[in-house]
Amino acid sequence: MAKGTNDAQLLVQSLRKAYAATPTSLKIIDLYVVYAVATALIQVAYMAMVGSFPFNSFLSGVLSCVGTAVLAVCLRIQVNKDNKEFKDLPPERAFADFVLCNLVLHLVIMNFLG
Amino acid sequence: MGATSNASPAPLNSALSSFPSLKALKFTTKQQELLIRVSALALIYVLAFVVRLFSVLRYESMIHEFDPYFNYRTTLFLTKNGFSEFWNWFDSESWYPLGRIIGGTLYPGLMVTAALIHRILHFFSFAVHIREVCVLTAPFFASNTTLVAYFFGKEIWDSGAGLVAAALIAICPGYISRSVAGSYDNEGVAIFALLLTFYLFVKAVNTGSLAWSLASAFGYFYMVSAWGGYVFIINLVPLYVLVLLVTGRYSMRLYVAYNCMYVVGMLLAMQIRFVGFQHVQSGEHMAAMGVFFLLQVFYFLDWVKYILNDIKLFHSFLRITLTCAITVGVLALSIGTASGYISPWTGRFYSLLDPTYAKDHIPIIASVSEHQPTAWSSFMFDFHILLFLFPAGLYFCFKRLSDATIFVVMYGLTSMYFAGVMVRLILVAAPAMCLVSSIAVSATVKNLSSLVRAKSKSPQGSGKPLSGSKAAAKASADQSLPFQKNGAIALLLGALYLLCRYAIHCTWVTSEAYSSPSIVLAARGHGGGRVIFDDYREAYYWLRQNTPPDAKVMSWWDYGYQITAMGNRTVIVDNNTWNNTHIATVGRAMSSYEHEAYEIMLSLDVNYVLVVFGGVTGYSSDDINKFLWMVRIGGGVFPVIKEPDYLVNGEFRVDKGAAPKMLNCLMYKLCYYRFGEMTTEYGKPPGYDRVRGVEIGNKDIKLEYLEEAFTTSNWIVRIYKVKPPKNRW
Repeated sequence: MAKGTNDAQLLVQSLRKAYAATPTSLKIIDLYVVYAVATALIQVAYMAMVGSFPFNSFLSGVLSCVGTAVLAVCLRIQVNKDNKEFKDLPPERAFADFVLCNLVLHLVIMNFLG
Repeated sequence: MGATSNASPAPLNSALSSFPSLKALKFTTKQQELLIRVSALALIYVLAFVVRLFSVLRYESMIHEFDPYFNYRTTLFLTKNGFSEFWNWFDSESWYPLGRIIGGTLYPGLMVTAALIHRILHFFSFAVHIREVCVLTAPFFASNTTLVAYFFGKEIWDSGAGLVAAALIAICPGYISRSVAGSYDNEGVAIFALLLTFYLFVKAVNTGSLAWSLASAFGYFYMVSAWGGYVFIINLVPLYVLVLLVTGRYSMRLYVAYNCMYVVGMLLAMQIRFVGFQHVQSGEHMAAMGVFFLLQVFYFLDWVKYILNDIKLFHSFLRITLTCAITVGVLALSIGTASGYISPWTGRFYSLLDPTYAKDHIPIIASVSEHQPTAWSSFMFDFHILLFLFPAGLYFCFKRLSDATIFVVMYGLTSMYFAGVMVRLILVAAPAMCLVSSIAVSATVKNLSSLVRAKSKSPQGSGKPLSGSKAAAKASADQSLPFQKNGAIALLLGALYLLCRYAIHCTWVTSEAYSSPSIVLAARGHGGGRVIFDDYREAYYWLRQNTPPDAKVMSWWDYGYQITAMGNRTVIVDNNTWNNTHIATVGRAMSSYEHEAYEIMLSLDVNYVLVVFGGVTGYSSDDINKFLWMVRIGGGVFPVIKEPDYLVNGEFRVDKGAAPKMLNCLMYKLCYYRFGEMTTEYGKPPGYDRVRGVEIGNKDIKLEYLEEAFTTSNWIVRIYKVKPPKNRW
């Protein structure tokens, strides 16, 4: 039992240490992702309390959070210098793609909100 | 390339200044190749359009079959009244007295596309009628499909394979069958959207770019707006992602491609009212969502493994996360399915997984001839040489596996399975067959022609003295080359012969089998001249011109769309078949005695009854041949209709030995009224039915509650007026 908690503590510590080594720009993107997912969870909790009518509004709210989180993760993947596959991709292009996809996402969300 | 092209013509010009015109146009090899490719593609584009025009040239520019008439009517409404009216249209002219919410129960892609083309043409002052645009929409999109096939082939193999794929799909009969000029149906546009979506997705996986993934989401949106078969895409793509994860070929590009396409594509798809919330509620779409969550977990674990360089710690983290994720997933899935929130697979798609399901449970789906399992002859008819080129292409794909070839292999295998279950789905398999076969053709022809072009090694006469074995080996190498070259030339000629036979077969099939409008029938008369039966349109126009505008017509559901589109009258049931009970009511009316049917017809406010009868002309798709399906469907809802009542020893007969209920039911009376006095064939007694090949049993038919209103010139369509109830004293 003690070994279990010891193990978990060791795990958390090494995770924290490894994460501290990541560059600041990536940490900002990670913060954005966590914020988006948290907003989605809050919306789901609210829906559980008051019911899901109108369903399209609930879906558009949750999916906008999930969508923008996923797109931010894609941006992080493309901007991260450790990824060999994307070393030819200029970060400006990655950011422009991110902005374009978010634009389309939110336009569709606004149509779907009802 | 620009520098070399500027350098090469200049000295040549000075040298060959005495030879103007052709020599002065000397292109570099690259430019020549580009010219050949572009002209080949242009010719293929035109070919794909022109080969589909047989019926327009033989008959006239009209809409074929049944479903396209509904699409035409809605497109007409769209061009006249605008998109907002169309999107919110409630139609009271069909499914009387229920009506139909057309705006919310159709796939608008086809109609919007045709209306857009119409508007663009009008903007450039080409004043074409919307009907011409509708007739030629499918061939136009078939041409566009060949272009997409070229780019797709280029993506998975090389540009040679792309050209072959474009050429094969331009004339493939499996595709032509549903995209001929006049066949204004969803599939004409949907196959273009399907191939476009697949191409954009494969491009996104290959490049890992968010922009291509967004484009594939839009392609998916177009596909969802066009056809119900989009379910194939939303299940094949997650399956492909799963296969890549399992075989260890996953990469960051896959994550980017799938996630953007899934989230944006799902949101766009939910804008179509007919699809609605199915992407989060229906069992058919759950695979995509499951793979979405799996991807998040998988890549999260991958990232943690990367930043934690310690294996042991990672393993414990892995254990915790996996148990959490699996419990949450299984819990969500089981609660969803058990509570009924996630609806199970609908009958239409479930019958693809279990082909015997429809026959026992849903007779309407089982009765459609397009939904029957495919015979081998259909495969040969629709695919010809592609049938054996497909396994050859699979071999080449496995030899050079990449993300793109894995996708094409999966697409080919799954679509072939479904094509075997349902004849209609040969259409979905056609692009896959063409793509995979093109790889085989292109790779083989490339290998053979490189063998033909290889220069034979000249024996070195004044060389160093070689040892005996070396000289013998060299001699044998020299000897095998000439036979190799001849063999290669022979094989190339064989390949050319096969492709020529394919082209001949496809043209013949298109001309003979797939270019008939179904609404106009043709036959060979006694003197060999062509006889045209235009009875359907004759009957519908009679209805249009001789009945009151609010008249209601009862017929079997096959003819509903055509009656509303051409006859402009309200119908009771039509091809949408969304309400089984209503259709069963009509089926019950058709198979009951006249007085019982009269009660039903009065309850539905029916004024006219329309039946199709082929006994005079020998036209075999008439209502008597469909009668048993009416009995089955009616009997499925109203147990008072029992199928054995109409059969004699399990056999369906209409002559003297037929069952008494059969001889006196409404359908029999309406089809054979006054037929007993008619002589149809020389040497046969009057009342001889040319389709069933017997003399009918009940010749002396008297109608009490209906009267004959119109019979077309060849007796194919017969219309009866329902008499109003007698006055009560």
